[in-house]
Amino acid sequence: MFRLALKMLLGDRAKYAMLVGGLGFATLLMMQQSAVFVGLMSWTTSHLRNIRAPIWVGDTKVEQANEVKAMRDTEVNRVRSVAGVEWAVPLFFTILQSRLTDGNFKPVMVVGLDTTTLIGRPALMLKGRLADVRLPNAVIIDDLAVQRLSIGRKKPLDVGDQFEINDKEARIVGICKAERHFFGYPYIFTTFDQARLFSPKSRKMLSLVLASPKPGLSAAKVAEAIHQETGLAAYDENRFGWATIWWYVRNTGIPVSFGTTILLGFIVGIVICGQTFYLFVVDNLRHLGALKAMGAGNLTIAAMLLVQAFTVGCIGFGFGAGLTAAFGFAVLDKGMPPFLLPWQLPVFTFVVVMLICMFAALLGILRIWKVEPAIVFRG
Amino acid sequence: MNGDIPSNGPANGSAPNGNGHTLAVHVRGVTKTFGKGEAAVQALKGVDFDVRQGELLMIVGPSGCGKTTLLSVIAGTLEFENGEIDVFGSSLHSLKPREVTAFRKRTVGFIFQQFNLIPTLSLVENVSVPLLINGVKRREAEERSAAMLERLGLKGREHKLPTEFSGGQQQRVAIARALVHEPRMVICDEPTSALDKDTGQQIMEQLRDIARHPERCVIVVTHDNRVFKYADRMTEMEDGRVQRVHDVAARGDRRFDTSFGVTSDG
Repeated sequence: MFRLALKMLLGDRAKYAMLVGGLGFATLLMMQQSAVFVGLMSWTTSHLRNIRAPIWVGDTKVEQANEVKAMRDTEVNRVRSVAGVEWAVPLFFTILQSRLTDGNFKPVMVVGLDTTTLIGRPALMLKGRLADVRLPNAVIIDDLAVQRLSIGRKKPLDVGDQFEINDKEARIVGICKAERHFFGYPYIFTTFDQARLFSPKSRKMLSLVLASPKPGLSAAKVAEAIHQETGLAAYDENRFGWATIWWYVRNTGIPVSFGTTILLGFIVGIVICGQTFYLFVVDNLRHLGALKAMGAGNLTIAAMLLVQAFTVGCIGFGFGAGLTAAFGFAVLDKGMPPFLLPWQLPVFTFVVVMLICMFAALLGILRIWKVEPAIVFRG
Repeated sequence: MNGDIPSNGPANGSAPNGNGHTLAVHVRGVTKTFGKGEAAVQALKGVDFDVRQGELLMIVGPSGCGKTTLLSVIAGTLEFENGEIDVFGSSLHSLKPREVTAFRKRTVGFIFQQFNLIPTLSLVENVSVPLLINGVKRREAEERSAAMLERLGLKGREHKLPTEFSGGQQQRVAIARALVHEPRMVICDEPTSALDKDTGQQIMEQLRDIARHPERCVIVVTHDNRVFKYADRMTEMEDGRVQRVHDVAARGDRRFDTSFGVTSDG
């Protein structure tokens, strides 16, 4: 009977195409927008992946990774004094203006690393030597900086070239790979001392303290100990990431914006699928009634409708997921817009599409359930 | 009220009636009302009649007299309020809904006015439906269906769609579908009204042949007075009641007089 149910469905090509198209479009809207949202949220935490440390310590009021509330330099030693801390180093972080050859200015994110250990250094050097960053005026720029700061130049910036940060000379000693940040500014890595020279003077010049727990201790517990003993805000890497994401969810209109589109996708799916499937059932009411007259029970017919709905759901989901993947491949190389598709998203979207289809099938089942088999004898 | 045929006791599927005929269907005092309150319409007002095994019985009468309603309750597709209906030993009035469904699946073959073939299924798939509903495996169902189509002159066209065929051919497919699971009762609702005269005659000849089986009966509701001659007996209905029963075969008069008010306007 299920095979016949599928033939009935596939035979009505107009409605079948409408169902698959509608569900595919709904899948595309929901999955693509979710992937862009997740990608955008991942950009908010790119500091954590570009400047890697198990424990992040900031001012008491710091709530997320992109927030800088300067502290006194002595806070580093206070953190070091907490039991369970293996090491703690200062980090300077600020946004400054860099001057381009054509006279324009571009904002850059300057990261000042502990001069001795260079903890927080870029993960992947594309050109140059990391140790050279200790030289006077030396900086390591990321690949986005090469692209952004080369405007007006005959050839792209390279190792050995110079440019200005806040009216001070910066000499490129390396080019690194860095994940793009939510602000969209390039990363400029230098030493803690050099970064403070680039930056305007202020009373407090320590942005964050990076720390690590002693072997065998968990970062979360040591972070809690740092908070208890110093009163500073201390997070392990994972908690800092989620705190950052939730901060953006609570304090920006981004989730509402994306959520609206995702909701629209859901509504489009419900409306198109529900209406088309119901019409399909109504159009086939006489035939389904004839099946009931011939002895097919309500459960058999309900199962047939569920099989039909599940089938169009799977095909429509596959169609939409394929389009989403194609979109992802198209934009991943360009880096814009952000796109991150963890496995949970397709699973979640598939479940939602199935719910839409089951709802549509339920409408049809309710309709056919009430139909008396005697309908087949009416003209 | 029963005209030529006296009332009989309940049929048990094989018990002979007082005239030595074995009854297939035994209906007594059946009532059916549609709607409620002032809008209520009583379609059947205590119907009594019998169908013998091996006969083709026609139910005739003017529009709105309750023919189709009677057919529906006998077939188990419509519930009724009062009375008794026994079909080949199954007492419909005492069966639960699930048992009625099983009764239809097992005992009844349907032939509809508009054929009701599923247009997206091939002929053999359409004919297979009752077998599949009865739990027969697809391969066996299609083999038996193909054999049935061959018996009805549709060999070689099993895998075509119904829309490629004329009305008469589609009705033959519907007959194949009605017979493929070897039901004991075949219910036909206006089987010739959508067909031209010659095709209608051919269909009726096939139905009469089907009815000749000793453990089967065919009940036909029709307005079409051109096919009355194929009936063994005719039950004339009016205003929700059986008015007369004419034993056409016993009289040997196949040129049946249609003066009892049957119209041909559907």
